[in-house]
Amino acid sequence: MEKNRISHSRRQFLGTVTAGSAALLAPMIIPSSALGRDGAVAPSERIVVGGIGIGRRGGYDLGCFLQQKDVQFVAVADIKAQRQGEVKKIVDTHHGNENCKTYRDFRDVLDRDDIDAVLIATGPNWHATAAMTAAKAGKDMYCEKPVTKNIIQSLILADTMRRTGRVFQAGTQRRNLPHFSFACELARTGKLGKLQKVYAHPAGMQAMMSGWLVPEEVPDQDVVDWDMYLGPAAWRPYNKKLLDGFNFEKGGGFVGAFNGGGVLEWGSHCVDLCQWAVDDSLPPVEYNAPKDGELMARYENGTQLIFREKGWIPLGSCPVRFEGETGWVEAGDSGKLVLSSPELLAGRSVEEIGGYPATFHVRDFLDCVKTRSQPKGNAQAACNAHIACHAANIALLLNRQVKFDNATNTFIDDVEANRLRSEALREPWRL
Amino acid sequence: MLKSLQRNVIYFTALFVALCANSLWAFQTPGSSSGQEQQLLAVLQSDAPAAEKALVCKSLAIYGSDAAVPELAKLLPNPQLSSWSRIALEAIPGEASNEALRNAADSLKGRLLVGVINSISFRQDEKAVELLIAKLNDSDNEVAAAAAVALGHIGNTDATQALREALASAPVEQRSAIAEGCVLSAERLHNEGNSVEAMEIYDEVRHADVPLQRIIEATRGAILTRKQEGIPLLIETFRSQDKKMFQLALGTAREFPGGEVDQALAEELSKTSPERAALLIQAMADRPTTVSLPVVLDSAKQGDKQVRLSALHALQRVGDDTCLSALLAIATDSDEELAAAAQTTLAALPGQNVNQRIAEQLPQATGKQYLILLQLIGQRRIDSNVEDVEQALNNPNANVRSAAFIALGEIVSLKKLSVLLSQVVQPGHAEDLPVAKLALKTASVRMPDREACAAELAAAMKDAPVSAQTTLLEILTDVGGSNALQTLASAAKTDEPELQDTASRLLGTWNSVAAAPVLLDLAKTAPAEKYRVRALRGYLGLARKFSMPDDQRTEMCHNAFIATNRISEHQLALDVLQLHPSPSGLKLAIDAMEMPNLNTEATATAMVIAQKLGKKGIDVNKLMSSAGFEKVKLEIVKAEYGAGSQQKDVTDILRKQASDSPLIPLAASGYNASFGGDPAPGVVKQLKIQYRINDKASEATFAENALILLPLPK
Repeated sequence: MEKNRISHSRRQFLGTVTAGSAALLAPMIIPSSALGRDGAVAPSERIVVGGIGIGRRGGYDLGCFLQQKDVQFVAVADIKAQRQGEVKKIVDTHHGNENCKTYRDFRDVLDRDDIDAVLIATGPNWHATAAMTAAKAGKDMYCEKPVTKNIIQSLILADTMRRTGRVFQAGTQRRNLPHFSFACELARTGKLGKLQKVYAHPAGMQAMMSGWLVPEEVPDQDVVDWDMYLGPAAWRPYNKKLLDGFNFEKGGGFVGAFNGGGVLEWGSHCVDLCQWAVDDSLPPVEYNAPKDGELMARYENGTQLIFREKGWIPLGSCPVRFEGETGWVEAGDSGKLVLSSPELLAGRSVEEIGGYPATFHVRDFLDCVKTRSQPKGNAQAACNAHIACHAANIALLLNRQVKFDNATNTFIDDVEANRLRSEALREPWRL
Repeated sequence: MLKSLQRNVIYFTALFVALCANSLWAFQTPGSSSGQEQQLLAVLQSDAPAAEKALVCKSLAIYGSDAAVPELAKLLPNPQLSSWSRIALEAIPGEASNEALRNAADSLKGRLLVGVINSISFRQDEKAVELLIAKLNDSDNEVAAAAAVALGHIGNTDATQALREALASAPVEQRSAIAEGCVLSAERLHNEGNSVEAMEIYDEVRHADVPLQRIIEATRGAILTRKQEGIPLLIETFRSQDKKMFQLALGTAREFPGGEVDQALAEELSKTSPERAALLIQAMADRPTTVSLPVVLDSAKQGDKQVRLSALHALQRVGDDTCLSALLAIATDSDEELAAAAQTTLAALPGQNVNQRIAEQLPQATGKQYLILLQLIGQRRIDSNVEDVEQALNNPNANVRSAAFIALGEIVSLKKLSVLLSQVVQPGHAEDLPVAKLALKTASVRMPDREACAAELAAAMKDAPVSAQTTLLEILTDVGGSNALQTLASAAKTDEPELQDTASRLLGTWNSVAAAPVLLDLAKTAPAEKYRVRALRGYLGLARKFSMPDDQRTEMCHNAFIATNRISEHQLALDVLQLHPSPSGLKLAIDAMEMPNLNTEATATAMVIAQKLGKKGIDVNKLMSSAGFEKVKLEIVKAEYGAGSQQKDVTDILRKQASDSPLIPLAASGYNASFGGDPAPGVVKQLKIQYRINDKASEATFAENALILLPLPK
């Protein structure tokens, strides 16, 4: 209860911070009259949710969903039987019933007419394919990141969500954290002067390989559905080491065997924040080969996006830094901000701006499911941030500069780079 | 076979790393790299393992040319390698790949055929349209569906015509995919400027017997394709009894171009149910440049409560100073929920003139509005009329004074900090003291120049009563910095017990290494034992918590050993050394073994440090030997790892790891990995060891993954 109060207070605070500009947070318009005496939500206000691939990260997301009184979680799909049971236990314990149904095939969840939205927290291999399958089935979705595996997937994602009229929230929860919001707001609204450089920490700039390991005996399909686990990824034999969905096919321009590694894993967060800082503009148009631990990209207007390994103020993971002509700000997961001048705080303290919890992001999604507004991590924002990461990965792999044309979504006069924009999915999956 | 596979995977991993690191292939155009392409093709032509061929396909996706197509095409019927092959075939430009895929589509069936059709779809091969149209009648629904979507992606005249015909005639189970193809075709037509045909297709899908989601997609397209003439259909969709159609209208309204639709939305407000009107207002407010603000404001003033709440919320985004009077009136409404919503909106109301108008209204305001304006001045940090707010501190109403304090906490500058300081040192009303303290703290911690702020607070302590001084010490701790630190250090050494107590307590929680010298000094010279203990613990807390060079941390622990004879603080110092293992820390732990009553603990600490350092690649035995540990004669008699009846004999493994030290390092970080597997999955396990040290028998039990440090037998 106390947590809710604090959260609400922070939400209000953000509204105050941004007086004079568009509100940062999606509307929360459920009147108390819609609530029962015991605080339960009236059936008409409930959002019925199903889970797809709820593992470690998904478990955290699930907790955020279950904290929301208007969420009724009713189903979980997982290729691992054990996980199905574990999630069902959590959900049923929370709701005090036995109603959470379990499925091996996520399409069975999508076939249920009573389900409004799905939480997609599979490994990155499945994110885009599951998201677009869900959209075509008429479900809204909260989808963990990295969302896409290449540039074309990113574009199709944005198009599909627009065409199907679905609400899509990428798991880029930092878009709804007050201190990151504040830092981006300073950059977007010119408080730092003309923006010159935005820095992202990709936490690693080496391509990785998910591999084709030694074949092992394939478990019974009811225990682990290996074929469904591979899903859109090119075939390879079963090996239990590949069953770590978090690391398997971790997205990037080189999926299948070669993956994007750290640029995409953390870039989908920190580059996403940089994209926000440049007012969600189109992605950079030029990406250079890495040099001295930095990869410099350039936006059309000259602002630089710099992927940087070192040189950060110790503010926790996922740091970003925005530099303008007259000031700069740096923020990280500690919830702290460092600024070039305290005047930028305009009378506030860093402490009162505050950081986590990530429930704000889930709440934003649920509110938008009701209002049909666009959440912070919407598909277009995710598309742009992911394209920036994928293009940087391509420059990294080719070890040379590549130039991207946002009008045609192709690399300019660059056959090799263009051939890395997409990758075939394993049959029968399509986007 | 398996070894060969492993070897090849390693080979290709190395190859890839080399590619990334050195760009060995320096990425010539495919035409100029035919030699390398031939090497790759040789792998495909050989009896190399599938793993090797798979990764060659990946490389051919970048470097392959028409020359690679025949070999890649041979893999299409291979269930394991078909998709690998398509990775390359989808990427290789030119007609050869198209032809290979079309040929495969003639012969393949089932999932493999679906995959090939999906690749044709991606490549938008117009020569495949006839083939795909034929596949619409395939008995395999998945094949027919893939063909329909592929035709939609290609979207030329023939493809579109075929889809439109199939929409009316195809079996019901295929219509969803056909409708998807139709919508894709219509979207393409619309983007190419052929809105008329696009509209026709959208309308056909809207009226077809297809799943609701397809109708939703078609309806969206039908509305937007019609441009301004789509407004009636948008409104019709708003009136649909189906919730999902209504939701579509909410989303599409936000996309709709121009300003005409805003008026239509405004008119619809009064015609729909309150539940829907509340949502409609949110959609209106998401069109900030064309929204009808008077309509939203009217909706906030009167009518159904949930509509009013929604409108109040919407005004946070689209309101301006013209809404101020109405919002202030609602903020005094007897309905607490409405009043609170109005106050929230007032705090966030956009518009350049809002702050000025709030400030202007304050002197004339009375009653509840006066209170609300004071709150708004604080919430919006309006600092243009501090004197007016200051006057409110003399108001007879305690609620007004409280609001004024909170507002001042948000707006006073350093120059005006004295207003709050004086109220803490000498309150005008005793009951205002808590809120005055809160306001002073709020103001102090947001001052840009914290050192100057701390100096001001320190100066105020001179003539303040002790109770006020303790308050100021608390606030100084929140402010931080060197001035604050020195003020607390001085307070801890005064003759006043209350100040000694407060200052030493606060110093113990100081959140910066800068407090270390002060705390060490207090640990030695504080006027009472309990304060010395507190200071030393705070000092060690800094050593424990903060990042610093190893030698500095070791020196702090050394200082702690010297500063006291108390075993409890010595133990804390050893804990710090264990937590941050370093060679200098190891030496200090060994030195500490000479201290009375500390031998056992210091020995254990030295062992732990040695093992941790060993894991960093340092030779543990050499370290321990050079650190002066006596060697022992160790014999492992028997060792078992497990739980209950599920025990595993690990005697031999431990014997191999044991040396001439009671510390037994393991090969891996956990017991399961070190002992060759988990003997009792999902159960808490123990390791039991029977052993002899220097010919004396003993036994010990360790919790799973604990440090194996055998106690010396007595």
